[in-house]
Amino acid sequence: MKNPFVPVPAVLEAVIDETPTIKTFCLKPAEPIPFRAGQFVQLEVPGLGEAPFTPSSSPFEPDRMEITILKTGLVTNRLHELEAGVTLGIRGPFGKGYPIHRFEDQTVLVIGGGVGLAPLRSLLFHLFHEPEACGNVSIKYGSREPAEMCFKRQHASWGERPGVDFTPTIDRPAEGWDGHVGLVTTLLDDLDLDREKTYAVSCGPEVMLRFVTWKLLDVGFPPERIYLSMNRNMSCGMGICGRCNVGSYYLCKDGPDMCYADIKDVPYALG
Amino acid sequence: MKYMRTASFAKLVEALGRDYDIYAPVQEEERLLLQRLVPGENGGGASVAWNPARLGESLKPIWFQTSRVVSRWTAEGPEAGPTPRPRAIIGAKGCDLAALGIIDKVFRDHTFQEPGWCAAREQNLVISGDCTTCLDSCFCTMVGHAPHPEAHFDLNLSPLEGGFGVEVGSPKGEALVADHADLFEEAGGEQVAARDAARAEMTERVEAQNEPHAVRDPFAQSIEKHKSNRLWEALAATCVQCNACNMVCPTCHCFFLVDVAGEEGSSRLSCWDSCFEGGYARMAGGGTPRLQLVERFKNHYHHKFVSFPKNWGVTACSGCGRCIDACMGRIDKRACLHRLETEWLPSDTLQGVQ
Repeated sequence: MKNPFVPVPAVLEAVIDETPTIKTFCLKPAEPIPFRAGQFVQLEVPGLGEAPFTPSSSPFEPDRMEITILKTGLVTNRLHELEAGVTLGIRGPFGKGYPIHRFEDQTVLVIGGGVGLAPLRSLLFHLFHEPEACGNVSIKYGSREPAEMCFKRQHASWGERPGVDFTPTIDRPAEGWDGHVGLVTTLLDDLDLDREKTYAVSCGPEVMLRFVTWKLLDVGFPPERIYLSMNRNMSCGMGICGRCNVGSYYLCKDGPDMCYADIKDVPYALG
Repeated sequence: MKYMRTASFAKLVEALGRDYDIYAPVQEEERLLLQRLVPGENGGGASVAWNPARLGESLKPIWFQTSRVVSRWTAEGPEAGPTPRPRAIIGAKGCDLAALGIIDKVFRDHTFQEPGWCAAREQNLVISGDCTTCLDSCFCTMVGHAPHPEAHFDLNLSPLEGGFGVEVGSPKGEALVADHADLFEEAGGEQVAARDAARAEMTERVEAQNEPHAVRDPFAQSIEKHKSNRLWEALAATCVQCNACNMVCPTCHCFFLVDVAGEEGSSRLSCWDSCFEGGYARMAGGGTPRLQLVERFKNHYHHKFVSFPKNWGVTACSGCGRCIDACMGRIDKRACLHRLETEWLPSDTLQGVQ
């Protein structure tokens, strides 16, 4: 078996500025890295360290991988300083990925916050590539301000797809913004969706996941239909190093997308 | 069962030195210490001492080093880290070997394998021994194990008059006996009976000394019923977060990966970690899911006695009691488990999910 600690080298081909704090890194690995939407990889800056990220690109294009990253720590700060041409390392993929097999004939309610839209974009690419994989797709996306929205160049085309609606929101009013204002949870108040035929999939900061979950429960979603892309410190990626546990689950192996029904009784699961 | 005279054992150890780095208990003044045998320095086979109970330190580093290079990135690109030379370990006890079986579940019998652990398990040789005494902290029988090895050895020694009863536990052990046939003879029925009687007596001794800590309910049930932190805070009151319990534990296996840049590229090290560390689960951006010590204390017990059995079918404790001896806060895991069962605070049910 392949040594799981040895990364695949990947050339950084381009860097796209998404927002002042978020960049998308376009990588060409030395060998294709097939992954399912929602699975994550460990991206390594040789000599510095590695950190876990879920690719934001299409799972149907394993030759190339895009990873959208917020500048927030040791590895990500260095990544943000890099320019095209350098070689990075990729280990993985790890984790289970989104439960796409459950989505057939179901509406998928996609709720993203900030850079949390990155893994969800990979899911959207999958659902757009295989329209029969699910019913309608409703996307709710919250950002602090218009300048902090990821993938702005794609929003219009998503909303124009048949069976897809896209609603962005910003936290506070901003000059030039005529869209919805308020936290992303405010978009969940008047959902015209059958709770028994919809799966909610959410990714964002932990505090957002907590309030989104409470809101979804409030408006009648059963815990079994809420999936959360959870955050923990994941080092090995294989469920053996110990630190990413949520109760008896290891996020790197059993997640990082967890069904709320499975974790609702774990103390502090959502902070 | 075979029989081997004491003098033959020393010869066997000498012979092992050709193929293995040998680690064995050696008497150092008052203490028995695990040492690497270096001919000419601390002697050869004759210097190996019989350890009547488990040693003070865990044998875990023989298979799982405190830090190990798992991969490197040089001018040629990424590559796997080196594999250490085969090691022969003498003096392992039942709890030490039960712990190997526990870590095997995670590092070997799993979707992913930890390459260093698997290589070490494959190539190392284990000559274990029955316990002939027990320490005050020993509680192997409380967690389903015994004061004599039940698995994971190549040869096991049971002290008998003039030598040892030898049980062969693996094809590697069989080959060793075949290669040194002159050192072994067939054991008689009386010798087998003597070994069994000694084992039964030892088991009874461990059970008797743990009678005050005896519990009726499964550990998981006692741990899960305490939803609030009230009792946990009392149990953790003297914990100073020194991490000693993790470090001496033969079943704790948490590690973190760290990259170190050098002149000829970089190396990735796997280093032991401790779930009591405040930064153990800290994420980029600073968030940590178990900010308070009491939460980490609780998580330690939950992992060993609730999650691990749920995930792997066994308790992540072999009852060696090293955590009890090592704790400067005098926290006794047996006493904690006993209190978790017997001190049920009615308010626990009211507090519910936090």
